[in-house]
Amino acid sequence: MELFLMTLITGILVGGIYALVALGWVLIYKCSGVLNLAMGELTLIGAYVTLTFYEMGIPFILAVVCTLLVGVALGFLTERIFLDKLIGEPILSVIMVTVGLSFFFKGMVEFFWGTDTRVFDPPVFAITPINIGYIKISPVYLWSFVLAIVLLIILVAFFKYTRWGLSMQATADDETAALSLGVSARFVYAAAWAIAFMSAGVGGALLGNINGVNISIGYLGLLVLPAVVLGGLNSVPGAIVGGIIIGILQNLSGTYLDQFFPGGVKQIMPFAFMAVFLLFKPYGLWGWERIERV
Amino acid sequence: MSGVWLPCGDYHQTYSEDQGWWQTTFIKTKMILLLAIMFLGIPLLAPEYWVGVANMVGYTAMGALGVQLLIGYTGLITLGHAAFIAVGAYTSTLLVLRFPWPEFIVHWGLSYPISIIVAGIFAGFWSVLFGLPSAKVKGFYLILTTMAAQFITVDFILTQYVSRIGGRGQAFSLPPGTIHVGPWVIDSDRKIYYVMAVLLTLMVIVMANLLRSKPGRAWVAIRDNDIAAEALGINIVWYKLLAFFVAGFFGGLAGAFWISNTAALSPEHFPWFWSLWLVGVILIGGVGSIHGTIFGSLFMVVVMELLQWAVIPLSEYYPKLLIDFAYIKDSAFGLAICAFLIYEPNGLAYRWWQVKNYFNLWPFSY
Repeated sequence: MELFLMTLITGILVGGIYALVALGWVLIYKCSGVLNLAMGELTLIGAYVTLTFYEMGIPFILAVVCTLLVGVALGFLTERIFLDKLIGEPILSVIMVTVGLSFFFKGMVEFFWGTDTRVFDPPVFAITPINIGYIKISPVYLWSFVLAIVLLIILVAFFKYTRWGLSMQATADDETAALSLGVSARFVYAAAWAIAFMSAGVGGALLGNINGVNISIGYLGLLVLPAVVLGGLNSVPGAIVGGIIIGILQNLSGTYLDQFFPGGVKQIMPFAFMAVFLLFKPYGLWGWERIERV
Repeated sequence: MSGVWLPCGDYHQTYSEDQGWWQTTFIKTKMILLLAIMFLGIPLLAPEYWVGVANMVGYTAMGALGVQLLIGYTGLITLGHAAFIAVGAYTSTLLVLRFPWPEFIVHWGLSYPISIIVAGIFAGFWSVLFGLPSAKVKGFYLILTTMAAQFITVDFILTQYVSRIGGRGQAFSLPPGTIHVGPWVIDSDRKIYYVMAVLLTLMVIVMANLLRSKPGRAWVAIRDNDIAAEALGINIVWYKLLAFFVAGFFGGLAGAFWISNTAALSPEHFPWFWSLWLVGVILIGGVGSIHGTIFGSLFMVVVMELLQWAVIPLSEYYPKLLIDFAYIKDSAFGLAICAFLIYEPNGLAYRWWQVKNYFNLWPFSY
């Protein structure tokens, strides 16, 4: 029971980070209809950029803020250089451009930062676990979760209450109507990419604190795909719930199924679950149902 | 029709002429020359290094043919084709290394040829298994299921279970001399080249023939408009699964070929990036064209070789460029995909078609 609770809570905490990254993914999809397969690499870039700033002696929180700024710049650049020219192209082209971007980013990250695992040194969070009741949780998870939730709240508030956020929502809802009301769709697309870079960047920085920074962070970033499929591709609450469920699922399968299928169950389970889930409910929990005969 | 060239426009008088492969003497001569270069010119005259490069081109083309069939002709986007290549490679390896063949089969050197075919069939069925969701989902959701195929097959089943067979840990070693075809031991780049050339030629012939017969037309109909295709009486699910089977079969053959080209087989040869790479190859070559598959493979492999040569002089000033060349290669490939999709979405095959048309219509192109 204790083990179960501990696994569950770790799952929720890690899931919070996935939720943050998944939110960035959903934003791009909602605003510009781009299905982004480069999310893993955006996470990777975020992790390495934060690490670099941190190693320069900047405190962690400030390093994260710097990462956010770098993320905004990279997001705008990426959108302007690559995605802007593809508005209205077939889905395969757009997806494959993001795949091309993922190759490009990954190659660049490996070239500049190498492939060895690097850790935040000195460690950002204390190592001794915190006791809550009888459950022990290491502070990394807890603080990461708190930071992720704070950012999630900021992002959601941004959408609900600010002018830019509202114009993004309007574009997502009906592009033509938004254009006729004076919303610049091109700016919205660029902003969506900037926000995606930011959320993935922070996600990467937090994930890097848990296991150290290496290429496998990119794989963790890829886990947003099961998360968004679970929640529904265009649903913000869906992305959050989906991220948390994927976190729980991953940790539970790691704890309980590993004895039956030794090896990488933990890594595979979200994708296997997604493949089966797609058969039964392809539009996710809260996605728009577009009924199509296949 | 045996004119040297076709007059401007399309002047066929019977359907069999229209469907013919070699429609003019010129094309016939060209193709025979091409085959001669492929089977005699390259292996006999080219230096060993370039024969090795040609083997990589062939391997890429074999894998990409299946992807082309799925994406270019049936409209089923797959991002997990490396999984089926891996299944083929492992089936073939296990059959060659561990299957108790009767004495005469080993004696006649038939175990590898048989294993190639079995690998193809097995990979085909494995592909159908992951193609089953295509009966229900399409577009992005299908992409995700094929991605799941990649992770489940390569990162889980092959890495955790199949690689452990025989207790050797991660890799199966295939020392030179393990692979026989008939009386020949496949142990040099030139011999590997012949295996590749024969397999690739057969695969292209099979694929081209499939595409101009009933299944091919059904696939193209499904790609262009699945609802209309169903209204025409095409059993969509059956033909989609058939496409997955054939694509998986080609993937299996490619994998089975790969084991002749490598000394040790490990799951790292089939990462997710290899699946993406194959899709990139057909995008650069041209979606919906067999020529395009070959052009794309040639372009990707040869350009990357040339890029490596270009880096060598630069590395005197900045040695990291050469040491970490693999990463430069990844980045260059990513940029190439983006550039092609943005500036030349129809790929190299379209350029080829334009050049051909220019000469066909010359001098009165209007």
